[in-house]
Amino acid sequence: MRIRRAVLITIGLLGAAAGCARDDSSAGAASSTPYVVLDDQASQLRANFNRNVGSVRLLFVVDPICPGCLRGLDDMNRDLLQSTADPRLQTFVVHEPVLGVARVAPWLRISGGQDVAGAARLLHNLQVQHYWNPSGAFGRLLSQAVGLKNHERQVYAWDVWLIYGPEAKWEGADPPRPQLLMHQLGALRGSPQFPRLDSRIFAQRVRTLLAQLPPGSTTSMLERPAQ
Amino acid sequence: MSEKTRVIGTAGGALGLGAFAAAVGACCGLPWAVPLLGVGGAVLLARLSFLLPYALLGAGGLLAVAFWWVYRPPVVCADGTCLESDRRPLRWIVWVAALLVAALATVGLAPGSA
Repeated sequence: MRIRRAVLITIGLLGAAAGCARDDSSAGAASSTPYVVLDDQASQLRANFNRNVGSVRLLFVVDPICPGCLRGLDDMNRDLLQSTADPRLQTFVVHEPVLGVARVAPWLRISGGQDVAGAARLLHNLQVQHYWNPSGAFGRLLSQAVGLKNHERQVYAWDVWLIYGPEAKWEGADPPRPQLLMHQLGALRGSPQFPRLDSRIFAQRVRTLLAQLPPGSTTSMLERPAQ
Repeated sequence: MSEKTRVIGTAGGALGLGAFAAAVGACCGLPWAVPLLGVGGAVLLARLSFLLPYALLGAGGLLAVAFWWVYRPPVVCADGTCLESDRRPLRWIVWVAALLVAALATVGLAPGSA
């Protein structure tokens, strides 16, 4: 009887240890794509954006569990990012909770920023920086800044894909206006100002901008988050 | 193949297509795809979303065939002895399938945010 109990306790302890080991390894995998938690003023993004003046900068705003956004990331990777290691191209991806009721109650997204790692794995490029904005305030900030409207109705900024030229500087509280903003939003369907996302056209515009830059004019100056 | 098998198969096919349409239609407005299918599955689902209208058309076509089978005029034999089976249970099945497909189509076509 005592031996059986000892065996059961040993098995239980081994199982618990194995569980802990598995948890540790999955946490390591998740942290292999680090991200910065973005405050409501987007100050970390603004600093990195301005540090890379002189390079072409891309800004993607997505929900990391939105299939359409993930397809957009996959398309961007296929048509643009996986085929270049050009340090004159910097990409910022802001992840924010939107789907379901997360936009009105972001605290309901219990997985938090854990979904960022899965989405981030779709982009194979060293010059990509990921941000997680748990409050979703960045979507409102960007929407106001770029005038994301359908007629007079303000449209929350997510699933939007922006290109900034080398001269763009983020001064003040609001992000600057981009050279191009594409989207996959039903609320902006038919908008002449904001075309629907076509990753091939987007990539072509980026390549055109890069071709106008002197070679090696900037180097990657991204501030990597602390591990 | 018996009439019952044909009707149930056709109505089931319509239901399957309706469920597919609901899945691809609701994929981008509800937060279920990544937890259930993973990132790769969610991307695939989003890539298949263009099939939504075809799936709905297919479901409608299958339902039309099923309705035709259960409401078609009875076969008249030369000697007048052919026994027509009772089609009422099959009609119920087709009507229930049609209502379910309509509900699934509503889910699939509900305006999503993206």
